[in-house]
Amino acid sequence: MMTASPATDAAIVKLEDVHLSFGQTQVLKGIDLTINKGDAVSIIGPSGSGKSTILRCINALVTPQSGKITVAGTRVDQLTKESERIQLRKRVGIVFQQYNLFPHLTVLDNIVLAPTRILGADKTATVKLARELLEKVRLSEKADAYPGQLSGGQQQRVAIARALAMKPELVLFDEVTSALDPETVGEVLWVIRDLIRDGMTSILVTHEMRFAEEISDTVVFTENGRIVDHGSPQQIFHSTENPRIRQFVGGLSGGGRGAVRDGEGI
Amino acid sequence: MQDMNLTGLFIDLMSRLGLNYEFLATGYEAQVWRDGFITTLYLVAITIPVSLVFGLIFAACLTSGRLWLSAPVRGFVELTRNTPTLVQLMFSFLVLNTVVSNMVGGAQNNPLSPFFWVVAVVGLHVAALHAEAIRGGIEAVPSSMIEAARGMGFSQFEILRYVQIPLAFRSSLPAIVNGLISLVKSTTVGNAIAVSEITYASIMVWTQRDNVVEMMIVLLAFFSLINFVVARIGQWVERRLAIPGYGL
Amino acid sequence: MSMAVTQTPKKSSRVLRYIGFVAMPLLVVVWSLIDLSLGKELVEWIPYLASGFSMNILITICAVTLGTTAGVVLGLMQLAPFWFVRLPAQIYVQIFRNAPALVLIFATTYIFPFEIVMFGNYLPFPDWVKAVIGLAILSSAYIAEITRGAVLSIPTTQWEATKGLGFSRLQALRFVILPQCVRRSLPPWMNVASSMAMGTSLASLVGVHELMHAATDASTAVRRLDFTIIAYVVVMAAFFTLCYPIARLTRRLEQRFNAG
Repeated sequence: MMTASPATDAAIVKLEDVHLSFGQTQVLKGIDLTINKGDAVSIIGPSGSGKSTILRCINALVTPQSGKITVAGTRVDQLTKESERIQLRKRVGIVFQQYNLFPHLTVLDNIVLAPTRILGADKTATVKLARELLEKVRLSEKADAYPGQLSGGQQQRVAIARALAMKPELVLFDEVTSALDPETVGEVLWVIRDLIRDGMTSILVTHEMRFAEEISDTVVFTENGRIVDHGSPQQIFHSTENPRIRQFVGGLSGGGRGAVRDGEGI
Repeated sequence: MQDMNLTGLFIDLMSRLGLNYEFLATGYEAQVWRDGFITTLYLVAITIPVSLVFGLIFAACLTSGRLWLSAPVRGFVELTRNTPTLVQLMFSFLVLNTVVSNMVGGAQNNPLSPFFWVVAVVGLHVAALHAEAIRGGIEAVPSSMIEAARGMGFSQFEILRYVQIPLAFRSSLPAIVNGLISLVKSTTVGNAIAVSEITYASIMVWTQRDNVVEMMIVLLAFFSLINFVVARIGQWVERRLAIPGYGL
Repeated sequence: MSMAVTQTPKKSSRVLRYIGFVAMPLLVVVWSLIDLSLGKELVEWIPYLASGFSMNILITICAVTLGTTAGVVLGLMQLAPFWFVRLPAQIYVQIFRNAPALVLIFATTYIFPFEIVMFGNYLPFPDWVKAVIGLAILSSAYIAEITRGAVLSIPTTQWEATKGLGFSRLQALRFVILPQCVRRSLPPWMNVASSMAMGTSLASLVGVHELMHAATDASTAVRRLDFTIIAYVVVMAAFFTLCYPIARLTRRLEQRFNAG
């Protein structure tokens, strides 16, 4: 199962020629992507280009038809049992667009549930960790509130803390600001920026172009299930030759972030 | 002594209203009647947990996505919902009970009493109603919430245990309370196989005393009272489990 | 993975639902064919059982018709602006909604006389009519609640809208409000009808010759365990074949109304 080839020592995520389709629809048509430990990578591109599906492949929420996926030394595409996938997911955090906090649990219980029940971590230590994380996302005073009492931005920050409580080796952010009111987007981006500065390996699917430019080590542009180009933010946003990327990036940054608020599909 | 006086006063008062409650002063009939109340309450108290436990199990089977679990339960749910409880009880008592008797070598060895069959038939019937309500609640949990739990490494059972059931139980609580009220009423079918619950005991009294109207008033008041209590407990649980900021 | 999980039960339950329509009668037929001596016995008793079941249907139709008429009136009374109209209806509904069907059938059977005097003529008052009244009382209490809920569920803006369009009050009721009420109350009404149909079996306990009673007669006469089993399976099959399609239709209507 575990194949740690010497070439991929630094790489924590490696996708090689990944193909995936849902029924008749081809979503990924040969994705190659390598992400090193400690990197922050942004995946950008038009709606339906397969960005979110790439994240779901890395977390084994979907299984591609062909191609190799290696995450933290595990060949994800070769996992056959749900129990093996669950083992992987415990090590890879994911934060979703709709936050998906458990509405019947307090903020603190939302964070503590998975580490104590799923990982079997010590309760006292986990509560202590959860309080530290809440402080980090600046929500200490909301520990005993229920998700329904929080704003979207606050809920999303709790969701980030919940993912971090599992002590993941990397975190996937799936359009985490797309469902938020414009005024609360900033507070969530702020938390992610902090996290990346602390050296957390992060993969973001995002429409926040300026944010992607600011925090990314690498930017990946996808379209129609393929990676069209990737490189430093400087390359992708300012010196690309590709007319499609130019059009996309120009159209978005010119129009400001309000222009990209249409709901993203897959 | 105090009790006797009160009974006498009650009988006297009622007879002035034209209602005949004289049997209360007799030893035997009053005893039978009181035992009837206790039997019904006992029946209700045992059948409610049975229905809840099996309702949960049935709901888990129905939503498991495994055909060998969901198909038999689905079949049972449809059968019990669409046939009269009385027929189910008679079938169980006359057929299943006889089969059990034959297996253990004679009715005298059969440990299963009519009381057991009422609990089993009514309990499982109402469990089917609960299961449908809980299933609806489980299916109403948004798929994105389930994906989030999967993404954090929850197994299918853990998702059911920590996410779907707590949410489904809350949203299906009003339907569950309705199910429990129909459970209380359904326990009267025990009458058919001589379980001496309250309607059976009342018949014993009114065949002697010819005071059907009087007994009916008490029966209706009694069932209104139990169902009132059940509904109140339901409301109390609902309030206790209500989540701030989460409208259901 | 997630798609597979959500699709499989849907497809299989669809197959299962179709089986539901024929499964029980099929079981009876197949069993009768396998054991021909049993089948012969059953065929002899079928007319007797059928006459019993026709009584169930008769009681159901009468009880639901009576109960619906009374229930709609009671439901509207519960909404009346005058307390002396509202209160009796509310008390009636509260008492009888909580009453077990069996208790009401006992009540009507034992309280009403076996014949009534009308204009000097003695009219028989058969037990099945008493069972009809017992079930009608119960269903009227349920239907009163359904009616009340349906009327309350129509937002006041609907009334205002009809006024704005120049409808008279009666026209508004006829063309806008009532159709919506009927639409909303149809599925729960069908549930009541179906549970009344099943409740008719309780009439056997007060000696009405209906299906359950007929099956008991038959099994006592034949005295064979396998015949007793098949007789009760026939009883269940009869009720199931009547009530299952109603339940299916109810669910279809509910889904359609919720979606619309």
